[in-house]
Amino acid sequence: MNLLSNLSYSNWRGIHIALVIVLSLILLFAGSSIKLMVSDTIVDVFYIPFYTLRAYVEEVSNVNDRNQNLAAELAETALELSFHREFARENERLRQILDFEHPTGYRLLQAKVISITGSGVPISAVINCGLDDSVMVNMPVINRFGLVGRVESAMLDNAEVQLLTDPRNRVAVRVASSREMGIVRHLPSEGMLLTAFPNQGKVAVGDTVVSSGLGGIYPPGVQVGIVSGIIRPENQPDAIVHLQPVVNFRSIEQLFVLIPEDKQ
Amino acid sequence: MRVVPFLIYLILIVFHQVIFRDLSSIYNVSFNLAGFFILCIALYKDEFVVLWFGFAAGIVVSAGDPQQMGWFSLMFAFIGFIAFHVRGRLNLESMSAKLGLIAGGIFLCNIGEIIINGSDNFIFQTVYTALPSTIYTSVVAWLFFLFKEKRITTEKFKSLF
Repeated sequence: MNLLSNLSYSNWRGIHIALVIVLSLILLFAGSSIKLMVSDTIVDVFYIPFYTLRAYVEEVSNVNDRNQNLAAELAETALELSFHREFARENERLRQILDFEHPTGYRLLQAKVISITGSGVPISAVINCGLDDSVMVNMPVINRFGLVGRVESAMLDNAEVQLLTDPRNRVAVRVASSREMGIVRHLPSEGMLLTAFPNQGKVAVGDTVVSSGLGGIYPPGVQVGIVSGIIRPENQPDAIVHLQPVVNFRSIEQLFVLIPEDKQ
Repeated sequence: MRVVPFLIYLILIVFHQVIFRDLSSIYNVSFNLAGFFILCIALYKDEFVVLWFGFAAGIVVSAGDPQQMGWFSLMFAFIGFIAFHVRGRLNLESMSAKLGLIAGGIFLCNIGEIIINGSDNFIFQTVYTALPSTIYTSVVAWLFFLFKEKRITTEKFKSLF
């Protein structure tokens, strides 16, 4: 103890410097096992907690990135799925069209609706076929459910179709079961009506009404509507027959222009 | 001598090496925190402290590469020792004197690291790594001394806005 306490500052200084140099040299020239032991100890004590923290932060960051990528992929896939569903619907529609029996004496010209007009219920539609496709004024237009209307005007590559829902349009029809005749027209306030139908005429709710072919525009036998209500006012010559159109005019998309075979 | 603050400095050095260095580096130029701590200790503490802290910091910094552990501990202890003795010849009231000491010390540290790591292109490494790192560290040291000497306080800072 005396020896230690007698050491002056300069001696202590020398000892410290010598110790640091010696320890550094030991670390320099010691065997790998000693170096590894020191290194492992330092890494375990100082580095591992921070590496763990860093790995955790990176993982959270990666999860966030992955989450954003997945969200983008999900949006893309949802869009793709919606396209596929639309294709499936179109496929189904076209399959049904293949089974569709059209009136004899006519050729079917497939047309797509490119715009419709009318407030509430559409009253006219523009199709993507025109004079170039042999479409002419007054040619009947149908879809797979029944009568849609007639061509009102035709341009080179498109045509305007007057729908049955246009109040100006009239169709000569028959009740399919009784063959009694009348005229179908559409009034915005009352919907589709069978007019000029005798009060005592044979008709019942659920009967099908088809075009009669009279008038020279529409071919006979094309479905127009289903009887949904009958009012027979007393002392009136005509009954008021309400029809449910077979065509949903709000969803028309794929139409056919009936081109007489003699006009090809 | 209390050991805890120096342990905290060592932990901060590791934290900087593992997590903060990548975040704080500018164009691959990073701040030399170990060198900065050693030189600050040389400025404010006594000779034995800086000697041993330099030695410990050298071991901690090079723990990932055991072959270089001795070189780093020797270099850091030596730079701390030199800085402590240069300090005696400086007017410590002067900011530029302290910054000069820090910049010189950091530059020596960076050069030493390049030599120890055995880089192929010494001149390139000196110009594109050691020098920018010295400037970066000196700028941070300047801000540190401004705060430490209360030339910038939070009140003064707030009064700017």
